[in-house]
Amino acid sequence: MNLIVVGCGRVGAELSHRLFKGGHQVTVVDSNRESFNRLHPDFRGRTLEGEGLAENVLDRAGIKEAHGLAAVTNSDTLNAVVAHTARTYYHVPVVVARNYDPALRVVIEAFGLQTVSSTFWGAQRVEELLINPSQRVVFSAGNGEVEVYETSVPESWGGRTLAELMEPLKQCYAVAVTRAGRSSLPDVGMVLQAGDMINISSTYDGISALTSRLAGKAEA
Amino acid sequence: MFVLIAGGGRTGARLASLLLNEKYKVRLIENRRNLLSLLHQELPTEVIYEGNPIDPSVLEAVGIREAHAMASVTSDDSMNLAISFLAKRMFDVPRTIARVNNPNNAWLFDEKFHVDVSLNQADVLAHLIQEEMSLGDMMTLFKIRRGRYSVVEEKVPAGAKAIGVQLKEMDLAEHCVIAAIIRDGVMTLPRGDSTLQENDEIIAVASPEGAHKLSELLAHPVYPERHGGRKIS
Repeated sequence: MNLIVVGCGRVGAELSHRLFKGGHQVTVVDSNRESFNRLHPDFRGRTLEGEGLAENVLDRAGIKEAHGLAAVTNSDTLNAVVAHTARTYYHVPVVVARNYDPALRVVIEAFGLQTVSSTFWGAQRVEELLINPSQRVVFSAGNGEVEVYETSVPESWGGRTLAELMEPLKQCYAVAVTRAGRSSLPDVGMVLQAGDMINISSTYDGISALTSRLAGKAEA
Repeated sequence: MFVLIAGGGRTGARLASLLLNEKYKVRLIENRRNLLSLLHQELPTEVIYEGNPIDPSVLEAVGIREAHAMASVTSDDSMNLAISFLAKRMFDVPRTIARVNNPNNAWLFDEKFHVDVSLNQADVLAHLIQEEMSLGDMMTLFKIRRGRYSVVEEKVPAGAKAIGVQLKEMDLAEHCVIAAIIRDGVMTLPRGDSTLQENDEIIAVASPEGAHKLSELLAHPVYPERHGGRKIS
C-alpha cells in the first residue's frame, strides 16, 4: 500500500519504520529536515521536507494515490486539519489522527476522525501496571476505554460461584475462564477454583473494583 | 453585535480595540502568559478571556453560542482552520473569519473548514505594496471589498493626457468613477462635461484595472530615467 506519515517525531519515525518493514511504500513528511535523523538506519522509504498543509507538499507526497494517511505530529490542530483534508478533499480511504494533548481529543472527535490518544493511553497503561500489577491487559479496545484483563482466582475465592464475585460489580464482565489449559465461556453459576484464569472485559474503574474485591478477605 | 477573537497577538489586540470603539461586544481568547500581561495593559479586563481558543469548553464558557462572528487570528494556520470549523460545526456561528499566516496554506481557507472569509496577510500586503509602486503619485485612501476596489486620490500633473478632456470622453466607465475634483481647496462633484486642470486633485473609486487606466491618463508624459546615487568604491 502507498502510505503517508505526516510528522517525523518519535511516533512518526517508529510508525514509518514499521510500515516500511511491513513491505509498504512509505512517504514521511516533516517541516524540519533534522527530524528525519530519528528514522531507523534501515528505513528506505521516501522523506519529504515541507509543511503538511501545503498543497504542493501533499501532491508530491502522492496523496492522490495514497491508500492511507497518518497525521502524527505533536500538534493536535495540525493533525486534525491534515487528516480532515486528506479524508474530505482527497478521499484517502483510511485516515488516522494522533491525539497528543488529552484535553484536545474532543477537537479531533469533532472532525469525526479515527484517533489514537498516545499520551492518554500510555499514562493509563503505566498507571495500571503501577497500581494493579497482578492484572495483565490482553486486549485494548478503542483508546483503552475498555480493555480485556487476565486475572487469577486467589485461594480465598476458591469454591465460590462466579456470580458471587461479579454480581456487585459494574462496568466489568467475565468473558472467559481458563482451567488447566482449557477455556470456556463461563456460566454465572460456575464454581471457581483457586488458580483459574478469568478474562474480564472492563473499564479502568471496573477492574480497580474487581482487584480490591479479589484482594479483600472473603466475605462471610 | 458580539464578536469573539481567537488570538491576542498584534492583530487580535488591534481588532479588539477597533471593535470596542465601534461599541461592539468583544471577547478575546488567549492563553500565552507573555501576551496576556501585555493585553491587560491595552484592553479592559472583561474583554480578555484566558484559555486555549481551540478548547470547546473554553469557547462555550466565553459565550460562543451567542456570538455573531468568530475571528481566528492566531499565528498558527491549523489552529485558525480548526477554530473556524468548530465554530460553525459545533456552535452554528453565523460568520467565521480566519487569518492566513502562510500563503501556501491559503487554499484550505474556504468551505473545506467552514471559513466564510479569509485574510491572507502576506498577499494583501504584497498587493498593496505593488500598487503603491506602480501607480506613482496615486495614493490609496482605503480599500473596499477586501481590497478588490480602492478609493484613490491623485494630483493632475503638468502635461498629463487627461488635461482639458471631458470626463465622459475618458473611457473609464466600467472600472473607475471620478467622484470628486478639488480645485484651489474647493471640492466639486463632477459631471460628464467637467474637465481637469493642472494641479487639480481628484478622488476616484476604481478597480485595479480602472486605477491602472486612470494612472495612465494622469501620468507625467515621460518617466525620467534615473542616474542617481554615487558609486561605492
